[in-house]
Amino acid sequence: MARIGVFICHCGENISATVDCEKVAKVASEFPGVAVSVDYKYMCSDPGQNLVKEAIIEHKLTGVVVSACSPRMHEPTFRNACAEAGLNPFLCEMANIREHCSWVHEKGDATTQKAIDIVRTLVEKVKRNEALAPIYVPISKTAVVIGGGVAGIQAALDIADAGHKVVMVEREPSIGGHMSQLSETFPTLDCSQCILTPRMVDVARHPNITLYTYAEIESVDGSIGNFNVKIRLKSKSLDEKVCTGCGACIQKCPVKKIPSEFEQGLGMRTAIYVPFPQAVPNKPVIDRKNCTYYIKGKCKVCEIVCPTKAIRFDQEDSFVEVQAGALLLATGFDVLKTSAFPEYGYGKYKDVIDGLQFERLASASGPTKGEIRRPSDGQIPKKIVFIACAGSRDPAKGREYCSKICCMYTAKHAMLYKHKVHEGTPYIFYMDIRATGKMYEEFVRRAIEEDEVKYIRGRVSQVYEKNGKLIVRGVDTLLMGQPVEIEADMVVLATAGIANQGSEELAQKLHVSYDKHKFFSEAHPKLKPVETNTAGIFLAGACQSTKDIPETVAAASGAAAKVVGLFSNDMLKRDPLIAIVKKSPPPVYSSCTGCFMCIQVCPYQAIDKEEIKDRNGNIIKTISHINPGLCQGCGTCVAFCKSKSIDILGYNHDQVYAEVSALLNE
Amino acid sequence: METNNNNSFEPKVVAFVCNWCTYAGADLTGTSRIKYAPNVKIIRFPCTGRIDYMLLMKAFANGADGIIVSGCHPNDCHYTSGNFHARRRWMIFRNLCDFIGMDMNRVVFSWVSAAEGAKWAEIVNTTVDTIRQLGPATSFQKLIKNSVFEEVGNE
Amino acid sequence: MNNIQQKTKELLESGACTLIIGYEKGTGGKARPVFVRKAEHAAKLIFDESCDQNIAGYLYRQEIKNESKKAIVANNHTLKSIVELASENQIHEGDFMVLAFTAEGEIIELKSFEEIEKHVATLYHGLNDEDKATMQKIEAMTMEERWGFWENEFSKCIKCYACRASCPMCYCPTCTVEINQPQWIPVPSHTLGNLEWHVMRAMHLAGRCITCGQCAKSCPLDLPIHLLTYKVALDSEQYFDSVAGTSVCANNVLATFKTEDHENFIR
Ligand SMILES: Cc1cc2nc3c(=O)[nH]c(=O)nc-3n(C[C@H](O)[C@H](O)[C@H](O)COP(=O)(O)OP(=O)(O)OC[C@H]3O[C@@H](n4cnc5c(N)ncnc54)[C@H](O)[C@@H]3O)c2cc1C
Ligand code: SF4
Ligand code: SF4
Ligand code: SF4
Ligand code: SF4
Repeated sequence: MARIGVFICHCGENISATVDCEKVAKVASEFPGVAVSVDYKYMCSDPGQNLVKEAIIEHKLTGVVVSACSPRMHEPTFRNACAEAGLNPFLCEMANIREHCSWVHEKGDATTQKAIDIVRTLVEKVKRNEALAPIYVPISKTAVVIGGGVAGIQAALDIADAGHKVVMVEREPSIGGHMSQLSETFPTLDCSQCILTPRMVDVARHPNITLYTYAEIESVDGSIGNFNVKIRLKSKSLDEKVCTGCGACIQKCPVKKIPSEFEQGLGMRTAIYVPFPQAVPNKPVIDRKNCTYYIKGKCKVCEIVCPTKAIRFDQEDSFVEVQAGALLLATGFDVLKTSAFPEYGYGKYKDVIDGLQFERLASASGPTKGEIRRPSDGQIPKKIVFIACAGSRDPAKGREYCSKICCMYTAKHAMLYKHKVHEGTPYIFYMDIRATGKMYEEFVRRAIEEDEVKYIRGRVSQVYEKNGKLIVRGVDTLLMGQPVEIEADMVVLATAGIANQGSEELAQKLHVSYDKHKFFSEAHPKLKPVETNTAGIFLAGACQSTKDIPETVAAASGAAAKVVGLFSNDMLKRDPLIAIVKKSPPPVYSSCTGCFMCIQVCPYQAIDKEEIKDRNGNIIKTISHINPGLCQGCGTCVAFCKSKSIDILGYNHDQVYAEVSALLNE
Repeated sequence: METNNNNSFEPKVVAFVCNWCTYAGADLTGTSRIKYAPNVKIIRFPCTGRIDYMLLMKAFANGADGIIVSGCHPNDCHYTSGNFHARRRWMIFRNLCDFIGMDMNRVVFSWVSAAEGAKWAEIVNTTVDTIRQLGPATSFQKLIKNSVFEEVGNE
Repeated sequence: MNNIQQKTKELLESGACTLIIGYEKGTGGKARPVFVRKAEHAAKLIFDESCDQNIAGYLYRQEIKNESKKAIVANNHTLKSIVELASENQIHEGDFMVLAFTAEGEIIELKSFEEIEKHVATLYHGLNDEDKATMQKIEAMTMEERWGFWENEFSKCIKCYACRASCPMCYCPTCTVEINQPQWIPVPSHTLGNLEWHVMRAMHLAGRCITCGQCAKSCPLDLPIHLLTYKVALDSEQYFDSVAGTSVCANNVLATFKTEDHENFIR
């Protein structure tokens, strides 16, 4: 038999001014199952709470309804009070007769009656409440950071410095990401490598960080606190422990004409290579697609010249498995290639390049040693046209978003050019100039005022080659759409930032959601910018949307803080108000039909399959199963499941059904 | 027995709301002391995604004259997409109910955020006004009466 | 027609199949489902317009599930149901053979779900003229008239659940009508409870009803309850582009959403 205690609060006069609290208490005392019903001036005060506690003991209450303010205000207070008196805190409910009643209605019978109805509803609910205990999930305090660009580097160092283990997985032979390719960076024009390289070295040296380069995520299972991450270490054809990184092999490799990825195709590399001189780790890998030995079966020059005998031609991919409490995605972005633009020559004009290629031309360690020389003939261009928003903000091309970084790096490019080629003229075609960061507007002003960059507002409709020049045709919308034609020596497209290749596949492996452009989605656009929808998986940097370095680093530290926060406890404590798939005795086992449509419904990928087996291990039935570590308790699956096989603790079918009937039936 | 005398008729309205937006919005109506009709009583759910259409049927079967269903605006759902799932369900459910001749003016769907205390009051008041005009849900009341008779008769 | 007898005979004789689920001549010019296990009984099997019953539901019956070599003679409704059941994980590729017919009446074997999907794509998906007309008639009624119409129909329902039993999509081992905590659907049959039952049934078939009309055909009282699930099916298609029984990997209409879904009814 239920023994419910009802406690009506006057809240000073906040409630009693319009609600007849004594009457509510009196009527409630006659509800079936109510053992005690009292009213009091301030229920949340110490004496008020004591009233509740004493009643729990004296009347051996099985449930409590505190009829007062909003549960959003004092539910924790009264649940704690109940717990102190030995009643499970989840057997306490609040009836909101202040915000939802006394404050919004005039004094009168209708208001008092409404308060009575609310109390009756909650009494019927609490009769059906169950004692619940918080869920504890043990946490493996290792974080796997996927991607070793500046985002991954920052996050890994922050987490490692806080004393936790980090495993970094980078698919290229070196960490560094796009930032290592940049020449100088806006808005300060400091050298990108100079600020990044020391941090790359820190990662390699940090006692808490294990670095796997040339590696990729093979599979992930488990959930927050306990992910099991399988990592594929692609064969480098090299024993890294033996290699000293002397580079003799690279010197002697006969295949020298492979377009370098790092140089964006503007420089060449060998088949055994390190991507760039400051690479971390600074040990080569063999690119099997281009190595003569793997193609023709003979060569092995590198093996012969290697003083430490580190080359391993027969090495295979290997795997490591890591138990991780959290995953951090930092896989960055890419840029659209010039070949995506028919109007600008489909990439067939050598002197139409993208922004990253320009970075390499402007870089002191790049293929031209930092001199701006055009790719076709090595001449110094006298006129350069930069085209902003190439592919961005263009619904017709399927990318309505602003890539956010191009306005700034285009201004930077024009400035760098002007600093290097004093007599040259840089033009920028733009739609709007978006310079919203700290010191950004000043930076653009400097480009216009000090470096005399010619900004032309308008779109470029066409670029074509004529007599060794690139003819750029556009309009100047500030001059009433007057056509403009420029004979340029070189054209730089600020092509749209796009999701990195492989991001969709990775998202699917990790069960995180992504947007239609394949950037990973944050859990909440405002309040959870570095979390994903999957508990325990966090986001940092340009893999979420293109970002500049300051923003990337801020996000990385934010995500790291979330990981460190998670790791600050040995156990993860979670509210038990989650969904469960109901079981029943054999031979039915569960009314779940195994339609698995609920799997699609859950916003948190919390639902998977469970096999019910007999004693001999034969599968009798496969039904849904809800992972208590992942379920956030929205209840969407509960209302969806047609066989009503899922229920949710705290808002179960029986409770809400009883509430509806109680509310309407006096 | 209720009559169609609209002066004495007090509509019974049940509101099914989510915890994070509309429940909080209704709290704000309270803290802002905006007054509204006392005919509407709220039942709290974690998310609009949890609101079962069968509960709406149950409300009518228990004598409700009107229903409000309300939650977070699109893209604001605490659970990111519960409200999107709910919206589809409502669409199908609403059209089905309309098809069997239920008066869908009695069921109000709305998005009320935690900041829209005034909107909540407005939704409640207009709903109560509409239902006052429509009168009691007699079509259901007739069925309820008959069902009680049947169930007692069967025993 | 000998076509089918010939084919199934071969299948049974060669041992490729041990059970054929098909149709035989029934009473009153109607066909009825039949199980044929012996080659000499293959002559019983027929396939013509009278074979309009949707028999996909047999495929997941426990006693039949265990038979390893079975074939089903599938009319268009049955084919769509097979696709829908497959998308709901109730039946599995390779567990049975499917014998279907081309528009010319040629018998064909559909070897995979993909082939069934392709075949289904060539079929007509709309309602028949009679149902179309009734739908239009009801939609043209005033609200009060519609209520009157359905109140009258629901008042007749005796909750025999023949409609549920005949629908291949109603496969739940414990139907919600059998749940008593809480009692979602009242046990006795009265108009109110019957209305709740039929609204629930229609909602449960959202995105799943393949508009075969079997439910209404099975009703001993001839209630046009198929129109309720049709209504839901038509709306699913109109608003959410979802047609049941056309794709094995499609998501259920109510299990997915688009951010830009219709919402002009929400304030
Ligand atoms: C032309 C150009 C100029 C720029 N100039 C500036 C500037 O001057 N100032 C400024 O602030 N910002 C600038 N930026 C922006 C800057 O490059 C980015 O903010 C920064 O690189 C983002 O860092 P990230 O770590 O998020 O991504 P990335 O730098 O893209 O790093 C991602 C890393 O993850 C690795 N990875 C990817 N997928 C996987 C996978 N599946 N598994 C394992 N590893 C993976 C990649 O190999 C890479 O190492 C510029 C960008 C461009 C395109
Ligand atoms: S819990 Fe419900 S929706 Fe999920 S698989 Fe089982 S029957 Fe289907
Ligand atoms: S309650 Fe919500 S989060 Fe939990 S399993 Fe169901 S749909 Fe997923
Ligand atoms: S078959 Fe007819 S009478 Fe039987 S439950 Fe269905 S609608 Fe009612
Ligand atoms: S028409 Fe009736 S029997 Fe056929 S699928 Fe739809 S609900 Fe089931």
